[in-house]
Amino acid sequence: MNIQRIAVLMGKDARLGATNFMAVYVLVMPVIISLLIALVFGDLLAQTPRLGIYDPDGSEKFTRPLLDHPSINTTLYDSDAALQSAVERGSEELGLSLPAGFAAALEDDSAEIDFTAYRWGEAGVRNLLLLESALARAMTEGIGTSIDQLPVTVNAEQIGAANTQTWSQRLLPLLLIMAIVLGGLFFPAASLLDEKKNRTLVALTSTPTSLLDVYLSKTLIGFILSGIMGTIILLINSAFAGQVALLLLVIALGGLMSSAFGIVLGSVSKDMDTFLGIIKAVGILLYAPGILKIFPQVPEWIGRLFPTYYLMNPLLEVSQNGAGFAEIALDIAVLALISVALLVLLNSVIGRQQQKLALET
Amino acid sequence: MAQPAISVKDLSFSYGDILAVDDISFDVAGGEVIGFLGPNGAGKSTVVKMLTGQLTPQNGSATLLGMDIVKERKQVQQEFGISFEFTNLYEQMSAVENLNLFAKLYKVANFDAMNLLEKVGLGGREKEHVANYSKGMKQRLMMARALVSDPQMLFLDEPTDGLDPVSTETIHTLIRAATQQGTTVFLTTHDMVEADKLSDRVAFLNQGKIVALDTPARLKQRFGMRALKVEVERPNGDIEVREVTLDEDQTPQTVFDLLKNERILTVHSEEATLEDIFFDITGRGLQG
Repeated sequence: MNIQRIAVLMGKDARLGATNFMAVYVLVMPVIISLLIALVFGDLLAQTPRLGIYDPDGSEKFTRPLLDHPSINTTLYDSDAALQSAVERGSEELGLSLPAGFAAALEDDSAEIDFTAYRWGEAGVRNLLLLESALARAMTEGIGTSIDQLPVTVNAEQIGAANTQTWSQRLLPLLLIMAIVLGGLFFPAASLLDEKKNRTLVALTSTPTSLLDVYLSKTLIGFILSGIMGTIILLINSAFAGQVALLLLVIALGGLMSSAFGIVLGSVSKDMDTFLGIIKAVGILLYAPGILKIFPQVPEWIGRLFPTYYLMNPLLEVSQNGAGFAEIALDIAVLALISVALLVLLNSVIGRQQQKLALET
Repeated sequence: MAQPAISVKDLSFSYGDILAVDDISFDVAGGEVIGFLGPNGAGKSTVVKMLTGQLTPQNGSATLLGMDIVKERKQVQQEFGISFEFTNLYEQMSAVENLNLFAKLYKVANFDAMNLLEKVGLGGREKEHVANYSKGMKQRLMMARALVSDPQMLFLDEPTDGLDPVSTETIHTLIRAATQQGTTVFLTTHDMVEADKLSDRVAFLNQGKIVALDTPARLKQRFGMRALKVEVERPNGDIEVREVTLDEDQTPQTVFDLLKNERILTVHSEEATLEDIFFDITGRGLQG
């Protein structure tokens, strides 16, 4: 192994990778998808805020301004149960269950008013803010006083909160797997297959450069790309939070696992078609934990059957639940074990590849 | 006696049941050009692959510049340059980038890519992607790449195969220039004229065995026919071709009679080509 030659080869791979459509596609795609998800499920393309109201008095004094509000969709419900059901299934983002005599009480300065607001678990922050602002305005208009003096106590209740995640949160695991695994896996494999196809690998290994140098340079590039991609996706999704050092450790191990897997696949694949065939066949196994996370009702143990779970889960635990090393130690151990196993496999592949290369050319 | 640049002893290699190289032995002196000739499948490329460390010999041993090709493979690889039969350049990189990459891998200090590219006639197109080059240009660039480390030994596998005469001549000039500097050249080809022109000695390889190894002149002497082909004009204006064998008792009289009595138009020597000799020895042609 020669570090100087590995650095030279990495420079060459980076130079060629920048013009390789497949490599660019794989790196850019998760970022684009991530941005699209942020647009679709985030604030930029948020739908009109939806408000449901149950008012047993049927008084329009408070509800009329909301029904006429140009920027929100307000619907009246006949019962508290109907309102709750609508909020639960997401038809309304916020549901106000007003007590009897609410409108009259608003005008009575001395009256204390309690009412319940049901919040849909997946409601976007932007929409909730708009709804809260419209509500406050409607109340102040109703009683002709400032918002600070409103004699109102709101009992907020999140419906289905325990299991409800936003779509951004649900898709983050899949995006993380795509970014870290694809970034780390595709580049070394595609680059190695290119070298085999163009027979440049023979040219390289006929110099004092060893096959190990070539393999390590590609593995390292995959590792670096994987780390960058994982970090970018976490940043775009506002999930680069918690113990950053732990996140970086998990990303690094994930990158090592992916790039070692990539170089092994590139080595055993005859050509790019074979490699893509393998990826199509085993891709579902790589993505499975991310896909399962989209459906929170699927039991967690199923995800644990797939290797990429041990990359995805600690990242989510640290970034979303504030977990520390102790909580994710088992996942990290499994991830490290998989990476070591792949490196051992890689070592055995290199031994056979040199002779195979000469026979193929 | 000086240590040979290449010393091969009882080298063998089989692809499964097919014996590609069958117990060959030979030495090549420093600065010598040895032409390895044989039809496709004769085992030429396998010999090159073993000597350049791509394949590990199954039997026998070999040294390059006194170093064992198996035990000291990486040290050996530092000392030679190689031009492959097939094009294997980084086509999305420029010629300069290709050469600089290999210069760094050989750890050549103060490498001047432009100087080398000028020598191979690629000056002025050094920044173009290699993908845009013609076959001849690519082959010249491969030759330049083989020369990047200013090696003591060159392995050239069919270096002019399918090239136009200009590119072929450029490569021949480079080979001659290298040998003038003392570089040992191991040339594999099935172009007999090229081998004859460039090689100090040629080895005929057939079915994995060396069936003849000598200088082209001695091989021609040993296996060829010494004769003259003479074109004469008859009194009626017809042209007649006569063959005069040189090694017979009546040859001087025959030549004298021709000069005295006939109007001679042309005289050619009837020297055997290496192709003829190969055919005589093996019973098969080189293109087979």
